[in-house]
Amino acid sequence: MTEAVLFTLFSVAAVLFAFNVVFRKNAVHCALHLVGVLLSLSGMFVLLNAQFIAAIQILVYAGAIMVLFLFVVMLLNVKGEVPLLTPGAAKGFGFFFALLGFVELLWIVLSSNGGGEGAPRPAAVLPAGFGSPAEIGRILYSTWLFPFEVTSILLLIAVIGAVVLAKRKFL
Amino acid sequence: MDLAFLIESAVKVLIVLGFVLLGVPLIVWMERKVIGHMQDRIGPQRVGPFGLLQTIADGIKLFFKEDLIPASADRAVFIIAPALPVITAFLALAVIPFGDTVRVAGRDVPLQVTDVNIAILWILGTTSMGVYGIVLGGWASNSKYPLLGGLRSSAQMISYELAQGISLVSVILMTGTLSLAAIVRQQETMWFILPQFFAFVIYILCGIAETNRAPFDLAEAETELVAGFHTEFSSMKFALYFLAEYANMMVVSGIAISVWFGGWHGPFLPPVVWFLIKLSLFLFFYVWLRATFPRLRYDQLMAFGWKVLLPASLLNLAVTAVVLTLASTR
Amino acid sequence: MPGSLIPLAAYQLVAALLFTIGLVGVLVRRSALIIFMSIELMLNAVNLSFVAFSKQNGQMDGQIFVFFVMSVAAAEVAVGLAILVAIFRNRETANVDDVHLLKG
Repeated sequence: MTEAVLFTLFSVAAVLFAFNVVFRKNAVHCALHLVGVLLSLSGMFVLLNAQFIAAIQILVYAGAIMVLFLFVVMLLNVKGEVPLLTPGAAKGFGFFFALLGFVELLWIVLSSNGGGEGAPRPAAVLPAGFGSPAEIGRILYSTWLFPFEVTSILLLIAVIGAVVLAKRKFL
Repeated sequence: MDLAFLIESAVKVLIVLGFVLLGVPLIVWMERKVIGHMQDRIGPQRVGPFGLLQTIADGIKLFFKEDLIPASADRAVFIIAPALPVITAFLALAVIPFGDTVRVAGRDVPLQVTDVNIAILWILGTTSMGVYGIVLGGWASNSKYPLLGGLRSSAQMISYELAQGISLVSVILMTGTLSLAAIVRQQETMWFILPQFFAFVIYILCGIAETNRAPFDLAEAETELVAGFHTEFSSMKFALYFLAEYANMMVVSGIAISVWFGGWHGPFLPPVVWFLIKLSLFLFFYVWLRATFPRLRYDQLMAFGWKVLLPASLLNLAVTAVVLTLASTR
Repeated sequence: MPGSLIPLAAYQLVAALLFTIGLVGVLVRRSALIIFMSIELMLNAVNLSFVAFSKQNGQMDGQIFVFFVMSVAAAEVAVGLAILVAIFRNRETANVDDVHLLKG
């Protein structure tokens, strides 16, 4: 019962915030509404037994990535006539194709309901410690060790790239 | 979720709320008195015995001031921004254990608003959300000095978050659990200050930088940048920023006590009293630093955070990991 | 779903909605920053979908994937915003319609 209430609350909040992200004029307001989406999603992750991912979402996404976004928005301080939406017919095409995409996703979701022939059987009960940091650590450092190490190199490349791109003098 | 649990949680929330709201005036009074005596003067002495009611008088004064909102400011963000650091401070205080489990009306009540099994991650998350109050306050004022002060302060806060997190991870390696209540319980025989002294030093330095306190308070000091990000805020909004700073001080002290100084462990007195004693000592230490050290310049501050504290915390983590591995394979 | 009364389709529906709203943002808005934010919205919708499937199947691999998606999103945001800052420094505009030198 509480779960249904929380789920409704979080999903309605996420969708409302998402609408505001896309349709507001002021870029800072858009960024703040995106933070709202991230926090609502974090709540939904807790409902889905993904506590570690929920905490990481707040720490990394809402707490660091969005602060970076806000910094850039505030420092660029774009004022002036950036039109809100694409002028002309392209706007209609954009909405139409997005609607098409949504109908397609809806059809997939409602028809397959979580699996085709190759999908694993839905579990009857979740294993103990599902979603806890201990479990994540166990799997991350055994099965998924190689992607983990590659990700660390990727982040190093991103740091170097960002510093080089944003420098004033040619490096 | 039965009624008794709801009542218990509501009472605990009210106690924590009351404790912070009543404790902050006391901390402010202590700060003014202690800094006064350290500077060879007396501090507040007229309003009430020993000047104890001075903070109440200041609060009443702030309440009656005019609440200005600049005409070109972003209204919605301007009004919400001061509330954000207060909200995150209270959220972080929710997981700090104030005392051992007591038996009240036939139930075992842990003296902690809630015990999540990812408490350390929760605290790190809420402290990183605390940056928004500063950066949005600086932006919403739509004015040069607050914007610069806000950006500087938030850059400082996100830089010191890294070393703070890594120093906490060094302790987590030893405890194997992220829950603060469990970490406190593991310190019955030996407080973690002994094996993890350097992690504590790094953490407390980062904590002082996170709360924008001296000597790291360049971005909000009254003599720099015209008071930084909270220049345009008056009356209750300024009081909220003020409250948030002291509440954040309590959060940082509370975590340092729980993780390194044994939490509520102590010989004869009840656990809550021990926690309060340790908290007072930490807050005195904060005030002592403010009275003693000159301010760090902004580039010195950023260099210290990135070039000294972060490598030091990584080194501490590496040494802890190596020592633990060798000790477990023996 | 195991241990929960809310069906998987509900979570997938929310994820599809968020994804579509992000898609609308990318196709229709002209400010490069807002397009970026819409891309982040799409990535988050995918994260939600992954975590919901992870719970449905009782396997943690979905959550590990979300972990990697978040890391890659962080790297992408850093580099993308750096590019945006460099473009803005040269052209004084953040409107993607003005960056059209390669147009035929």
